[in-house]
Amino acid sequence: MSKDFEQQLREALRPVDPEEGFELRVMARIARERSRARTKVTRWVSVALAASVVFAAFLGAHQWQLRREQEGLEARKQLIEALRLTGEKLDIAYQAVNREAPEPADDGSGA
Amino acid sequence: MNTLLKQSILALCGMLSLCAGALAADGQLKLPEFGGLSDKASEVVTITLDPALLGLAARFLDPAKPEDAAVREAIAGIKGIYVRKYVFDTDFVYPQADVESVRKQLSAPGWQRLVEVRSRKEQQKVDIYLLVEQERANGLAIIASQPREFTIVNIVGSIDMKKLHELEGQFGIPKLELEQKK
Amino acid sequence: MKASDTWSADELLTRARGGESSAFATLVRRYQRTVYSIALRMLSDRHRAEDLAQEVFLQLYRAIDSIDSETHLAFWLRKVAVNRAIDRMRQESRHDSEPLTDAVAVADESTEEDPLLHRRMAELVAQLPPAARAVVVLRYQEDLDPVDIASTLDMSINTVKSHLKRSLTLLRARVQGTTIVEDIR
Repeated sequence: MSKDFEQQLREALRPVDPEEGFELRVMARIARERSRARTKVTRWVSVALAASVVFAAFLGAHQWQLRREQEGLEARKQLIEALRLTGEKLDIAYQAVNREAPEPADDGSGA
Repeated sequence: MNTLLKQSILALCGMLSLCAGALAADGQLKLPEFGGLSDKASEVVTITLDPALLGLAARFLDPAKPEDAAVREAIAGIKGIYVRKYVFDTDFVYPQADVESVRKQLSAPGWQRLVEVRSRKEQQKVDIYLLVEQERANGLAIIASQPREFTIVNIVGSIDMKKLHELEGQFGIPKLELEQKK
Repeated sequence: MKASDTWSADELLTRARGGESSAFATLVRRYQRTVYSIALRMLSDRHRAEDLAQEVFLQLYRAIDSIDSETHLAFWLRKVAVNRAIDRMRQESRHDSEPLTDAVAVADESTEEDPLLHRRMAELVAQLPPAARAVVVLRYQEDLDPVDIASTLDMSINTVKSHLKRSLTLLRARVQGTTIVEDIR
């Protein structure tokens, strides 16, 4: 490989365009969604008004919930990182054991 | 012979991991503060997940996602996970005596060294210990050191090494294989 | 050329938030290549990639009020595209690639020195597991650095670096292995 491997990888993965008319298809899909949404809006306005009163009362609890959620997600991230590091070190040990192991004999002796 | 040894180690860990029962002793190590090392290190990882935080983390694992479900299974009997990792730009900046002080704790009754790796070329040492009490595994300790980094992992509680091994390939946990085209 | 093509991204965002369809359409035109390419490299199928790319822009339309700058927009689009692709791959549990006829066509249109090599590399990337594939695509297609990749995928930087290191080692080995076989032929 004459070129740097990473440069080759960049060239292999260079961005490509979707098929012609992609923008029109996206806008058509949005138009369909807006049409569906309009019929729902009127139905839900009165429900939303009533809900907003109740929502204000629960706002404090919600903020606590958000904080808890952030803590939980951070704890999850730390857990994954801890397991990743554990696996990385275990992998070194497994590889070392595998490197030292001679190929098992084919005579079925099991040694 | 060593392949058999590896299989035996896995079988032993699997057998010992089967039940969490009453703890005869805490598998938690006393980790040094490593004061002042953070300023010298190019990378620091400090993870302290006590039972409360582990429980919280577990609640945010999505049982519908296979990889999250696998993690939940792997940590089912675990009561705490403690990690300290420091990476430096020059050799032996860290006080090896501090790392050795952790190794010394592992000569206490109950701790058994499972694997010892010494690589002269990379000057790498990796030691894996299990705390075994009344035929139950109550803790795992890994101490890995190289001239420019050291990592200490201490897991308290019943760990299923087989399930941990099964996490390979997810979340960046090693052993990457290209999947076969069907 | 439309007038909206000359507007800055920030201006387009302001107008799109105000309900101007032409402004939103211009944003789609500007970012379709990025979003579609991420989807294509992750899903390895033009039709599924287009479907996913459309969904990303639909989601952008719903969330446009929360996008406050061009930088935020680019980050948001990449994040949603790659995470939706990962979710879809996991749901479908089809991590292997379909025959990359589309990727082959792309490579053949190029003027690179070695289209066969590039095709092979694209095929191998398409066989990586979802998370590793996402990291490689964001690094080598989108040219993001590990810090930005970590934010986009909600991973630690160490995990990103681990994926990169191992994926490159694996890809290099597989590419070299293939080349040797082909040379012998």
